[in-house]
Amino acid sequence: MSLAVAGVTKRFGGIVANRDISFEVAPGELVGVIGPNGAGKSTLFEVVSGFYRPDAGEVRLEGTRLTGLSPDHICRLGVARTFQKLRPFQGMTVLQNVMVGALTRTHDVGAAREQARAILERVGLADKAPAFARTLSTGQRKRLELARALATRPRVLLLDEVTGGVDQRSIPGLVRLVRELHEGGLTLMVIEHNMRVITAVAQRIIALYLGEVIADGPPDVVARDRRVVEAYLGQAYA
Amino acid sequence: MGAVPQLVVSTILLGGIYALIAVGLTLIFGVMRMVNFAHGEFVMLGMYLTFWAFTLLALDPYAVLVLSLPVFFAMGLLSYHGIMKGVVNASHNVQIFTTVGLSIALQNVALVLWTGDFRFVRTGYYSTVVRLGDTAFNVPQIIAFAVSVAFTAGLFAFMRWSYTGRVMRATAQDRDAAALAGIDTDRVYAHTWSIGIVCVGVAGVLLAPIYPVYPTVGLQFVLIAYVVVVLGGLGDMLGAVLGSLIVAAVEVVGSYVVGTAWKEVLYFLLFIGILVVRPAGLFGQRGAERLGA
Amino acid sequence: MTGRALPAVVFFGAVALVPLVVRDAFLLDGLILILLWGSVSAAWNVAGGYAGQVSLGHAGFFGLGAYSAALLSTRWEASPWLGFLVGAVLATAAGLVIGYLSNRLRGPYFVLATIAFSQILLIVASRWRGFTAGSEGIPVPFRPGFWTLGFVDKAVWVYLMLALAVLLYLVQRYLERSRLGYQLGAVREDEDAAQSLGVASRRLKVIAIAVSAALTSLCGGFWAQYVGFVDPFYVFSVDLSVRFALASIIGGMGTALGPFLGSLLITTLEIYLRAHFGGIGAGLVGIYLIIYGCALILVVRFAPQGLVGWLGDRLPRLRTAGAGS
Repeated sequence: MSLAVAGVTKRFGGIVANRDISFEVAPGELVGVIGPNGAGKSTLFEVVSGFYRPDAGEVRLEGTRLTGLSPDHICRLGVARTFQKLRPFQGMTVLQNVMVGALTRTHDVGAAREQARAILERVGLADKAPAFARTLSTGQRKRLELARALATRPRVLLLDEVTGGVDQRSIPGLVRLVRELHEGGLTLMVIEHNMRVITAVAQRIIALYLGEVIADGPPDVVARDRRVVEAYLGQAYA
Repeated sequence: MGAVPQLVVSTILLGGIYALIAVGLTLIFGVMRMVNFAHGEFVMLGMYLTFWAFTLLALDPYAVLVLSLPVFFAMGLLSYHGIMKGVVNASHNVQIFTTVGLSIALQNVALVLWTGDFRFVRTGYYSTVVRLGDTAFNVPQIIAFAVSVAFTAGLFAFMRWSYTGRVMRATAQDRDAAALAGIDTDRVYAHTWSIGIVCVGVAGVLLAPIYPVYPTVGLQFVLIAYVVVVLGGLGDMLGAVLGSLIVAAVEVVGSYVVGTAWKEVLYFLLFIGILVVRPAGLFGQRGAERLGA
Repeated sequence: MTGRALPAVVFFGAVALVPLVVRDAFLLDGLILILLWGSVSAAWNVAGGYAGQVSLGHAGFFGLGAYSAALLSTRWEASPWLGFLVGAVLATAAGLVIGYLSNRLRGPYFVLATIAFSQILLIVASRWRGFTAGSEGIPVPFRPGFWTLGFVDKAVWVYLMLALAVLLYLVQRYLERSRLGYQLGAVREDEDAAQSLGVASRRLKVIAIAVSAALTSLCGGFWAQYVGFVDPFYVFSVDLSVRFALASIIGGMGTALGPFLGSLLITTLEIYLRAHFGGIGAGLVGIYLIIYGCALILVVRFAPQGLVGWLGDRLPRLRTAGAGS
């Protein structure tokens, strides 16, 4: 169950958002992706999930080429994602939101409903099932986004900013959830700004800066990497 | 070979007028990200204004031109504050239906007040023809063209060099950044909308001596205007001008080749063709159509 | 479940009872038109309300249906039912083409494409003298009998239109509860997010448009048979397309009963105004259109959920939570 990214480059006009990015994710790994704003993290996720076509390079899931396929096809092949700017289906209830994900794997509406309920239970939103998605708080929306993606039974899950915008008290719960998913065998890539969170859950961190990979290794090693420190804090601190 | 100079002249004359209508439309879209389906109705109102001024007050259409500037600016402000302001930040569908509703209301106000009879503004010089070599054109067409060009050029100059123009362009690029920079986006929108309406009202005044005036006359012009702005790229003023020439050429040459009955099919096919092949327009930003904005 | 079907049962039940009580041809005619316009709007709703593909070119499909019925009746003296079938096939094909061509277009671009489509059909129909009798239109002859839909008694038309309306209501209800419906709803709400969840949005949009097209054309066919005359400038007009959308918007886009409630309101108003002002001058008839225009502006701004939403807020038991759950 591995995700292989090879030489991915993506340009927007004059800006190179991703430059020759390569790495592999082994089955069951939890890889954190860090980098200052504009480093190209979200762009990378967009390329992997099929929303952007890279100008060069390719992405493979267990050998199957994902590059060039539509986002929905890629999801059906096993890659799910959440969005940094949360996108719940506002006019539908929480349960219905998750059912949409479940319906990718089953044609039976009743079965999808049961699966959705189970997932909501797992992420702690069971009591919110009949509520409209637009009534949820940010932390709850994050959980909904996660639940929806999980409903598609992915092999690889891309989480874009799990704790961004969430109040302090809700963070440990979300972190615990991510860890549980990982322990359950799911392969995860997590973009995260909160260093405490990411070093707590990730076994490996990839650091991006100005579109390039500047470090790739265990959290403690990456955190001390000269280039990483420079990128975040400026040359004076390196 | 004899037909070519005439075709060229006709194209340029027609293109000038289309440009004036299209420029207003694309300006509104560029700054406000709104598609104005009621645009054609303001052309219609401009035509009626001219007709009634001419019929009741014996005012020459070109005198009405001067009068129309404040009248349409006021109409623009009124319709902005009364209707458009409330939906500036709403979804596309809401904006579309709002302007569609406005379009229906205006068409039928005209119908109720002035009946569906075709009206004509026949000035003394209406049928005077000017001949230049192999080409012939009549006076109202030339005047319409000249004034359109002058007006459009004036608009470009305004956008480029005046403070308001620069503020409008800034808002067009990034409305949030503009607001953060202290620009009163509401005022910018009010001005943009009103300027767009003035453009199209003036176009109506210029067209009155040339075309018949009736309540639904706006529809044909607005559809042409849409083909032009999509061709040129929604929001791109220069694109609108160039697009006007292309559409005028298609129409003129098309009429010549397949006859006037089928020429409209040509530019609709052109329209669909552009939407399929390069929806962002010849000069627009690639991918703009996927954002729907 | 029954709680939500109740309003529809009441509505359609009431309609079914009317011909038993009312004999006046004028009133029955009004009822027939309410049901017919409601049905077309419901067909529009499949694409516009449920799938979020707002089109202002549905008159194109309506006209295809009307012309198919008219031409098959007049030129080949075939049964109008055959005309309906042909119209549906043509409209489906047109829907697939338009859906496919405008697949990547969103928002106003899509709307413009649909308008262009209906205008092309208008021009073709009004100029092709040899085939469609051009701008003169086609009168549909009245041939007595069941299979030719030649009914003297208006009551029969009421029940026929009621059947059509119920069919369209059920199609929409199916959409609300089926897998297709959930996926279309997701596309409507946020196409990118839907894609990220595995919804084949591009294919579904085309399907929604094609289905909507076929149903619209069916209504167009019935309309042609009932009214007896097909005029290209009316049947392919943008005004008509807007009218289809209007009933759904006012009644409640994306709800099954909305189009019918909207049609009830709009058609009644129109008939009333026509009756009262028709004699004085055609100009005054335009008043109802002014009202529509203003209503459209007000409804999309202040009551975007339409009548159904408005009623739902006031009568919680009637609240429809979008797709059934």
